[in-house]
Amino acid sequence: MSATTTTAIAPLVVEEVTVRFAGLTALDGVSFTVEPGSVHAVIGPNGAGKSTTFNVLSGVYRATEGSVRFGDDELTGLPPHRIAALGVARTFQNIALPPHVTVADSLLLGRHRLTRTGFVAAGLRLPSAAREERRHRERVAEIAEFVGLADDLDRPAGELPYGKQKLVELARALCMEPRILLLDEPVAGMTADERRQTAAVVAGVRDSLGISIVLVEHDMGVVMRLADAVTVLDFGRRIAGGTPAQVQGDPAVVQAYLGTEATP
Amino acid sequence: MSDTDRPGSAERAERVEAAKPSVPAPAGEAAKPSVPAPAGEAAVPAKAADAAPVPPGGTEPAKAASEAARPGRVAGVRQGPPWRRPRAYLWVALSLLLLALPFYLDRFWLQAGLFAMAAAIGAIGINLLTGATGQLSMGHAFFLAIGAYGYCVLAGGNDVESGHELAGLGLPTWLAAVLAVLLAGLAGGVFSPIAGRLRGAYLGIATLALIFVGQHVLFNARDLTGGFNGRSVPPLSLFGFEFDDSELLVAAVPFQSMEKLWYAALVALLVCGLFARGVLRSRPGRAMNALRDHRIAAGVMGVPVARYRAAVFVLSSMYAGLAGVLLALIFQRTVPEYFGMILSLEYLAMIVIGGLGTVAGAVVGAIFVSLLPQVLTRWSDALPLVSAPGTGGVSPGEASRYLYGAAVVAVVLFLPGGLTRLVPSPREKK
Repeated sequence: MSATTTTAIAPLVVEEVTVRFAGLTALDGVSFTVEPGSVHAVIGPNGAGKSTTFNVLSGVYRATEGSVRFGDDELTGLPPHRIAALGVARTFQNIALPPHVTVADSLLLGRHRLTRTGFVAAGLRLPSAAREERRHRERVAEIAEFVGLADDLDRPAGELPYGKQKLVELARALCMEPRILLLDEPVAGMTADERRQTAAVVAGVRDSLGISIVLVEHDMGVVMRLADAVTVLDFGRRIAGGTPAQVQGDPAVVQAYLGTEATP
Repeated sequence: MSDTDRPGSAERAERVEAAKPSVPAPAGEAAKPSVPAPAGEAAVPAKAADAAPVPPGGTEPAKAASEAARPGRVAGVRQGPPWRRPRAYLWVALSLLLLALPFYLDRFWLQAGLFAMAAAIGAIGINLLTGATGQLSMGHAFFLAIGAYGYCVLAGGNDVESGHELAGLGLPTWLAAVLAVLLAGLAGGVFSPIAGRLRGAYLGIATLALIFVGQHVLFNARDLTGGFNGRSVPPLSLFGFEFDDSELLVAAVPFQSMEKLWYAALVALLVCGLFARGVLRSRPGRAMNALRDHRIAAGVMGVPVARYRAAVFVLSSMYAGLAGVLLALIFQRTVPEYFGMILSLEYLAMIVIGGLGTVAGAVVGAIFVSLLPQVLTRWSDALPLVSAPGTGGVSPGEASRYLYGAAVVAVVLFLPGGLTRLVPSPREKK
């Protein structure tokens, strides 16, 4: 808990992380550092280990070797909820929203670690519980407004178009008031319009909140536009890294994506 | 490199610019995430989606406009004062009916109604666990037994029943009832390290063990349970008021144990229902549903998965314990074979038939499952093709069981969301 009181946004250091599933090496000695307040993209062809990286960062998978540090805190080996308590929030590639629950209630789930109401207070409807709920609903409305979901707060998430559902996931992660945000393919499957809107929201988050963002994305347009740094994975190994421009010109990257030597 | 749908760079820049003024919170806010921002401090000017940049200070009109655009939200879920809502009248009528019933019903129907109320409390408990949290439990009957026998042992004295010596603490009965509920919770707590680690159907298999252990203990710990013959249940006494069979005339109607217990059970059901509703509609309920729907996401959102599963298991056990105490008081005798696997399955049937994950579903399902067989038995001799028992052909008891089975299958087939889906809630209609 002491870590959450640290004021500065800390760097996220991934060091020599290896993940093996019964003989299959999903990640092989991957290292990179997410600088405070930057947008760091992790790209690579399908099966490169991007989602595995995210699952290690958020505690869903345990690294076989290596370490992940966020500031002074060691994340490796912590269960997901403890990592969340340190200010790490993430979204999912496949939407993980209950379809019949209203957007507002889904966003309130993001406030879980910031709220205290337990079974007894909730069951007895103590005034403290009502007060807390009201205060956090206000904050949820503000975040929804920021993301562009203000008009959808009372609708079940399942009724919204796909792009909006992904925005709800993003908003839910923001509701955790994170210090670092992990976005797993935030614009996949979106229309061009939704894509622009999401990119604007992500840029707005970085500029106004100053938090670090780690982004897994296939859409190179979005990656090049938003990312300050890029790490390229292929078959579980880091094959390149640097600024978007550096990575774009890297022959290893082009080969990984196209399978042959780059020919101009 | 793929570069699809890349907008013109000028437009891009404008989009990003447009997002900039819509600051969700000052940078300082992010630094102290455990403190929710006061409304004023983090006023959000406009939606990020708005292409038109909003000048600073233009926040109020924008907010007002968006408020006007969604009148439904301002009106809220409840429409108008209570006397303008038809549902309020329905509730008043129902409460009056429930309060008046003991003056009109005979003992058979009162007992059936009481039985349904006790079952409803137990069903609310298992619906919190299985319906709302997605943790299957086959061991509900075990916790019902702990409530029932716990009450008997705590309240009963050291008496001799049918030539057998029984141990008892002889506590005041109201205290014994409270302690029996806590005892069921304690038993749930002892099992909770397992309940916290296993999910869904795996927990269901593990809880099967509870049934077998429970049955063995109930039949063999004869000093406590009375073995095969069971134990008689000391009547409840609350603040000097006895819920026993001594007659009490109320408005020229003789009140016996069933009439008196009726009101105690009503109050217990009301309190249990409201408590569970409060839990389900608030922070713990959201976390429970998240555990059921998206277990991994729930953990990532900061829900301590194992601790929550364990806590819900304990709460559900306490509901079962209270239901057990009530059942014991209604039957006036506890017998071991009642608390077997069939009972656990009946409770699961209740919540599936009524509706998973809600208090109303549990109550409706409990009424359906516990009253339908009684109704069918009472009037099955009026059915066609039914002959008197012992004359060959279908006896009334069998006919009622066939009908009951058919009704269960029909509900599951045609109302997959449970009986409560027949009445759309005001929330869902929107």
